[in-house]
Amino acid sequence: MATTRRQRKSIWMSELDDLVRGACGGFLFGIPLLYTMEVWWIGSFVTPPIMLVAIVSTFIVIFLLNRTAGFRKTKSIKASDALMDTIETIALGLICTAIVLLLLREITPDVPLDEALGKVLFESVPFALGVALANQFLSGSREGTDNRSDHTAQPQDDQLNATLADIGATLIGSTIIAFNISPTDEIPMLAAAISAPWLLAMIAASLLISYGIVFEANFAKQPRRLQQQGIFQRPLSETVMSYLVALIAAAFMLWFFQQLSFDDPWTMWLRYTLILGLPAAVGGAAGRLAV
Amino acid sequence: MSQFEAPQNQDRQAQKPPRSIAEWVTFSIASLILAGIVGLVCSLWVGKRHHQPPELSVTRSAETRQAAGQFYIPFQVINSGGGTAESVQVIAELTIDGEVAESGEQQVDFLSGGETQDGAFIFTRDPQQGELIIRVASYKLP
Repeated sequence: MATTRRQRKSIWMSELDDLVRGACGGFLFGIPLLYTMEVWWIGSFVTPPIMLVAIVSTFIVIFLLNRTAGFRKTKSIKASDALMDTIETIALGLICTAIVLLLLREITPDVPLDEALGKVLFESVPFALGVALANQFLSGSREGTDNRSDHTAQPQDDQLNATLADIGATLIGSTIIAFNISPTDEIPMLAAAISAPWLLAMIAASLLISYGIVFEANFAKQPRRLQQQGIFQRPLSETVMSYLVALIAAAFMLWFFQQLSFDDPWTMWLRYTLILGLPAAVGGAAGRLAV
Repeated sequence: MSQFEAPQNQDRQAQKPPRSIAEWVTFSIASLILAGIVGLVCSLWVGKRHHQPPELSVTRSAETRQAAGQFYIPFQVINSGGGTAESVQVIAELTIDGEVAESGEQQVDFLSGGETQDGAFIFTRDPQQGELIIRVASYKLP
């Protein structure tokens, strides 16, 4: 009885794990385009036949990718499996894209259906590509760090070094992703439309996505250490810490690219930084995976 | 690939070939979502709305607000037609004693069918003293 229950739990856990991995890959690949207003505009005027073309071409590309990569760890690359994964990949891309566009206030209840559909569809293309490539992105670290999990007891010194390395990796990752976005006009544009509750939602989403990526990394990196210390303790503090690092990096980049100056009111600093904080946090989490 | 497959096998036994319930559940949800999206796109295609040209109108959406010696005249521009209009130009002219005393212009980047956008014109003269005309002057197709 106990074993079947555990097995059933592990079925759901591994499925969730696969989906989270896919979503994380999507965020890594898709977030720079989610912050591109030209893509929102395409969504505004695209006609339904073109939308169908977008779906079909995405489907073909994702199917081909899923035959080799995919977001699952299983190596079954039968055509039927790849087909099922393709549908899941695109659906995952659509959901995550819709959530982010909702957060960015690009989709609101006032936006007509066809415009919302166009936006979600076109933004979900790079996102779905990221989902399909998730295993390629995120399994790189698995290879090297799996053996590290054998050393359960690490000396104190190493832990300090690991923390510093984590901060450095977060900084590098968030700089790389947010660099693309910080000099563009999207940040002021988004900041103009967003209200305080949505900023809070933005913080929550940044933490959640960043946690998802960290959790993924830890799941592969140090499963045994995690079990000893309690699953939630370490990733949570790490997530908060890396989010703060990402916010600092975002604020610095906005200042560097003259989007913010010291004369600007603090509310502007807060808005801009939090909006750039989402891609920065995603980049930061990716950076920690790479190290 | 195969050398690091081994340690994960313990917690991944369930994922072996016949697909698990969990995978079927996510697959069916995913299929529903994708089918829903395709269905929505098709219904848009069949629906006549996007074949129609844009139909633009502008209304004064609220009372004129006065602050610091200026008059704020809120307006709302609506596309009640089908297609999307780009660069929608809204013009306001305040005519006092037979001549245009002040004018203002605003552009809306994109206005899809059924979409509304709000804005305001600002005048230094009281619009009550003369005749105010707000109209949509032009747009282009994307």
